[in-house]
Order: sequence, then C-alpha cells, then structure tokens
Amino acid sequence: MHFYLPIAEVSVNALLLVVLGGLVGFISGMFGIGGGFLMTPVLVFMGIPPVVAVASEANHVAASSVSSVIAYSRKRSVDFRMGGVLACGGAIGSFIGVEVFRWLRLIGQADFAVSLSYLLFLGVIGGLMLTESVGTILRRRSGQPPKPRRDRRPALLYALPFKVRFPRSRLYISVIPPILLGVFVGILSAVMGVGGGFILVPAMIYLLRMPAPVVVGTSLFQIVITTSLTSVLQAGRNQTVDIVLATLLLIGGVIGAQLGARASGRFRAEELRALLALLVLLVGLRMGADLFIKPEEAFVLMTGATR
Amino acid sequence: MIPLVEAPPAPPLVLAPPAPAVSAALTDTEIRVSSGFRGARIVLYGAVFDPKDRPSDIVVIVRGPDQPLRIARKTQVAGLWLNSRPVVFRGAPGFYRVASTRELQEIAGFAPLRHLGAGLEHLAIAAPLEQRVETTYGVRDVVVSRLGADYLDWRRAVVRLKEKAGLYAADPRGVRFVDKGLFRAQLDLPAEAPIGQYTARIVLFQDGKPVSIRDRALVVEKAGAERALYVFAKDRPWTYGLVSVIVALGAGWAASVAFRRS
Repeated sequence: MHFYLPIAEVSVNALLLVVLGGLVGFISGMFGIGGGFLMTPVLVFMGIPPVVAVASEANHVAASSVSSVIAYSRKRSVDFRMGGVLACGGAIGSFIGVEVFRWLRLIGQADFAVSLSYLLFLGVIGGLMLTESVGTILRRRSGQPPKPRRDRRPALLYALPFKVRFPRSRLYISVIPPILLGVFVGILSAVMGVGGGFILVPAMIYLLRMPAPVVVGTSLFQIVITTSLTSVLQAGRNQTVDIVLATLLLIGGVIGAQLGARASGRFRAEELRALLALLVLLVGLRMGADLFIKPEEAFVLMTGATR
Repeated sequence: MIPLVEAPPAPPLVLAPPAPAVSAALTDTEIRVSSGFRGARIVLYGAVFDPKDRPSDIVVIVRGPDQPLRIARKTQVAGLWLNSRPVVFRGAPGFYRVASTRELQEIAGFAPLRHLGAGLEHLAIAAPLEQRVETTYGVRDVVVSRLGADYLDWRRAVVRLKEKAGLYAADPRGVRFVDKGLFRAQLDLPAEAPIGQYTARIVLFQDGKPVSIRDRALVVEKAGAERALYVFAKDRPWTYGLVSVIVALGAGWAASVAFRRS
C-alpha cells in the first residue's frame, strides 16, 4: 500500500514504514534509547529528504519513548528530577544545535558533519561499551568474581556548587555536570537527528554513576522532552515535520516499544549492553565508511534549495 | 437617362499560402496529488495544418516550476571524501521532459534548439553566483566562471543527477504521428514531480526551422487531505508542530494503556 507524503512529497510503502517503526520501537523500548540513530539513515535511504527525515523522526522518537517511559515509571525506575535537569540542558542544546545545523547546511558540510559525528560518537561509545560488557560476560562465564565496581565517583560531581538531592538515583551532586551533559546531547541530537540516548545511557552510568536500574527510564524521559521540543521547533522554523510519515512510523513504534520494554526483563544487563554496543558500533562504522570509500558519483545535489 | 454605374468588380480573392501551424491539447490539464498518488500519465494530442504537406517534425518540451538547486562535488582531503563548497544553479526547472518525433539533432541545428531550450544539453541553467562579467582582450561582457574549465562537468552533473531521479528526460521517440497530420505524445509524471505550474510547449519544425509554436498549461496540485495538511504546515507552522507532538505523545500513552490491560 503506497502513501503520498504531503511534506516529503514522495510516495512510500506504508506497511514497510509501520514495520520499520515497530522494529526500531522494539529496540528503543529494550535498550532505553530513542532509536533515531537507526531510523534516520533508513529513511534517507528510502528517498525521503534528509531534513524531513530528521524532523519527522524526532516526532516518532517522542511517541515510542513516551510509551516506554510509562512502562518504566510503573516499575518506579524513572528519576524524574534528574531527567528534568538533563532536559533543561537539552533544551538549550537543541536551540544551539538547530542553528549550528543551519549553518552547516549553508556551507554544504552538513553531510560531512553527520557522517563524522556518527563515526566518532557511535564508534567510540560502541567500542567502549562492547569491550566493557564482553569483559564482564567472559569473567562471569569463567567463574571469576566480577570486577569490583569503583564506587569512588568523580570528585568534580561534588566539588561544584548548586548541589541537589536526587533521591531515586541515591545521589547528592551538583546540577552543573548533568546540565552540561544535557546541552551536549541536545546539540548533538539536532545535528545528528537523534534523541541522544546512546550517549546519555553510558554517560549516566560511567560519569554520573547513577544506579543502573533507573538509567534507562530516566534517559527515555529526557528524550521525550527534548524530541517533543525539537519537533515543535523543526515544524515552526523549518516546516519539515511530515505528520503522515511520523504517524505511520509511530503506529508501529508505540507497539514495538511496549514489547521491547517487556522483553528487556528477560536479558541480563551486561548482555543487553553488549548487544546495544554491537548495534551502535555497526551503525557508526557504516555511516563513517562513506568518508573513506571513493564515491561512485562525484557530485551531490543538496536539498533545502538556496536559503 | 441615368447611366448605370456598375459596381466595381470584387477584387479577386488572393489566396496567400497559409502558414503551416500546429495545434495541440492535453487530455488532462490538472493533476491532483492525493494520498494514493504514484505518478500520472499525461497524453497530448495535436495536429499539423499544412496544405503543402511538407515533412514535419514535432518537439514537445514540458517544464515544471523553476527550482534553484545546489550541487557540491566530493573531493578527497587527507584521505577523507568531503563536499566542496556548494554551487547554486539558477533557472533549472524542477521537472523537464523533451519528446520528439526523432533525434533532436536530426530535426534542427544547434541554434534553434539552444534558443528553445530543447534537449538536455540545451537547458538554460547557469550558476550566476559563480560568474562575473569582465573585459578580456578588449572584448566586453565576457562571462568568466569561477568554476573554471570544468564548468561543463558541473552542468552535466546537474542534468545527470536529475535524470537519475527521474525528473529530467529526453525521449526521441516520444511523439508519434498516428494519422496524417495528427500526432500523439505521452508524458509520464513520476510521484517525485514537484507541485506547481507546468508548461508544455509544442513546436513544429520544418526544414530545420521552428515554424509554429503552441503553449499549453498544466497544473500539478495537492488535493484533499494532502493539501489540507500541507497548507496547515505552511500557514500555521507552530500550531502544526504542537498538534504533531500531541498526536505522538497521545499515541504513546494510548499504547501503554492498551498494553497494560492486555
């Protein structure tokens, strides 16, 4: 069944989009990431203009994330206060990010920035997470005791002013690191067209030292706020949100997210993390490969005309 | 007697040979794009009026709304393939089809084809931002391109990429004479064809010269829900954004409620 998208101005297979939305939603609910880093490249590959793909994808991510946030909050594993602080930073970041992206498009380097940041961030984060989680799995298989977790948190978290209590995360730290983290993720998410969960999840575990059970739900909560804001900003400023595209994706997405959140309980945390790491690494390498392979066609038409 | 004044004889009817003319009509002048739109086929019928029956050729040129475009070239810098600074081309139609009874270069020479913009190599597209006019060797108004010698490469790339996207095409067998003086052309509009005002120019060539030209208009417009959403997004972008977010959040909430019950 084909559908003509009013903003993207292309005809797409509706069923395929629903199924894709469902798959990405499943991954999103399972790992606590938005799934934008998977979906945006797929949409662009299907012939949807990148600007429309990025903006509509934010809308889809908001839908599937809200669906899994509710599932996680029933398990009391969302730190709303921490999520709110991160989202404040995220809001500032996405304002900056939208402007940065406009400028990059103007000088024609948006493709390069996107490829490079996928390669850099997904590659590094995927690689680190993979070695860490595979190490843990191997140690457990060979019967060795797990490496003692270094409980000493970075002193910076405590040395800075504006300390706030985060009861659910059992933390009493300065708000400055989480806000800065939020800003960073916000900029990145506007440039890469993603929610930023793949950065938030490891950052909350390794930098903020939040307890693992609340990390996924909190990351999703932050993603809901940032992507909703991005969606409105993109629609208002660039008029690039295709509501038909977003709706097709989110029909599958919200169902997939529920199934994913259920399935996540059946895996061990480190196995889940190894899977996610592998996925992140593969997408990063695939996107980055374009930078090194000689292109078949030496010229590229740029979308977004001449503004 | 009043002399009868004879009425002067009617001047003899001088029949100057009527100039050959072409006439044509589109079977559809309005293409409505709604959710099921997967492209359209437009059929054009026309006739050549020429009492002398000289050999005639027909060229049909269909142009979509102009869309300035940006193009960049991939260059290798320190082992990485990067985009060069993009170049803006103006005057490029968003859609272009030329159909003719035979190969264009058999129909006419360079000058008339260039003048009419008939044929992919004769499209009047240029990169004005990359050009400056200067006086060289005493010759005034020489257009110099900052793109240098490979300007033609850029131009060809624009056409090639548009052809690959199905938006530009040339069909030297696209017009057929179905009867004496009666011809038919068929144009396929892909789903990616831009929305807007199109013109179909029908040119009658005789002896390598364009002797008669007809223009026909064609509108491609969004219809129904597609149009309503498009207008909503353009006219009230912030409300549209809010609505789309509310739909998204509502759908997420509804799914989680539904799954809790099950």
